[in-house]
Amino acid sequence: MRCTTYLVAALFLGAGAGPLAAQGGRRIRVQGVQTLSFGNLLPGVPGVVGRTDPARSGRFDIVAPSNGQILVQFTLPNRLDGPAGAGIPLTFGGGDAGFSADQSIGGQIGFDPRVGFTAATGRRRRSAVFLGGRAQPSAGQRAGSYTAVVTLTVANVL
Amino acid sequence: MSLRTLVLAIALLAPVPALAQGVLVAPTAVFIDSRSRAGSLLLVNPNDDPAEVDMSALFGYPVTDSLGQTQLFTAEQPDSAEPSAAGWIKIFPRRMTLAPKGQQTVRVLVSPPPTAADGEYWTRLVIVARGGKLPVTVVDSANTAGLSVGLTMEVRTIIPLFFRKGKAEAGLAVSALRANRAADSLLVRARLERTGNAAALGTARGEMVDSTGKVRATFNMPVAVYHAIEPRFSIAAANLPPGRYRLRFEVAAARQDLPAESVLPFRAVRDSVSLTLP
Repeated sequence: MRCTTYLVAALFLGAGAGPLAAQGGRRIRVQGVQTLSFGNLLPGVPGVVGRTDPARSGRFDIVAPSNGQILVQFTLPNRLDGPAGAGIPLTFGGGDAGFSADQSIGGQIGFDPRVGFTAATGRRRRSAVFLGGRAQPSAGQRAGSYTAVVTLTVANVL
Repeated sequence: MSLRTLVLAIALLAPVPALAQGVLVAPTAVFIDSRSRAGSLLLVNPNDDPAEVDMSALFGYPVTDSLGQTQLFTAEQPDSAEPSAAGWIKIFPRRMTLAPKGQQTVRVLVSPPPTAADGEYWTRLVIVARGGKLPVTVVDSANTAGLSVGLTMEVRTIIPLFFRKGKAEAGLAVSALRANRAADSLLVRARLERTGNAAALGTARGEMVDSTGKVRATFNMPVAVYHAIEPRFSIAAANLPPGRYRLRFEVAAARQDLPAESVLPFRAVRDSVSLTLP
């Protein structure tokens, strides 16, 4: 039985694949261009980054089929996890994400990053999503490394 | 300010690039019929760093909320009445590391139960790409030397998969067409309900016709009707003079973002309503 399964799987995997060109340009690509950066934080002093900050906002570029629809949504941490259970709170407001149909930082439509945003791709295939936020280290912030995961979901709404 | 702090501050003024996040996925929708029961997609890592990729299947489809905005409904354990193919999907390989500039063909095999009725079944393919941990901020002060902050970035790409068994037919009904002016736009809504045993993939078109019969404004939007939705369409109305208009609305089985052979035909549905713009 196991041999048969392996044989079927091998035949299945060995079948020819259509080249990328055969997809007729129907592809989706999400690329992290610039990560959200809070700059030189000091203990007890919040770090605030606006989504229109060209140097520090997070940016993802999206290539999607024209004349379609995509849904963009973030899954965001509420803190950066550090040593011995220490954390730096992170907050994201209702307008801390922005969608730009032409990838310009000034052409954003703001949206709540946790709720998401549905965009018609129109004739343009390239768009961008920007992210701002706020980090609030405490006055006695413990030394060490602090990490968190930011996830951007891009769904082809079809 | 110490020399070390000054150097850090200068370094942090520059944009921080992201590393190896996201892969290219093609095509953007997978259609599989019961004769082949298999399909494929291509993942490409265009980055200069390796990308770790996980794939899975999740049941879901687009819905609209009370404001007519599109959301993606998903369910780990869908209702038994839902035409879910999520439990029938096998993905080869499910996990992979894509080398820089590398690519991987992923095979999808559908194994429906023999008792499955004719019709269309749905799932979503979820492609998660992980980059490395990114140093985004260094906290440095006289009190807390040695603090560092980093974000790990993930990108999830979700594409639909349609499995069609036997006779799959699309059909659509339209009702409750209405429109309201909001600022410089006209917001159009209509109820769209699937009548076949497959999702209706089409394009909604609308046009504002004035009292002389001249078309003064239009919209054109893709729609996907899995059960019933009430989407919202927007027409730029800033330049529409006051007066009486006829709003004509149509949904037809045509999509510019999909291969024509993947779109099941259905009879176009139409409706219209009279409006007076103040």
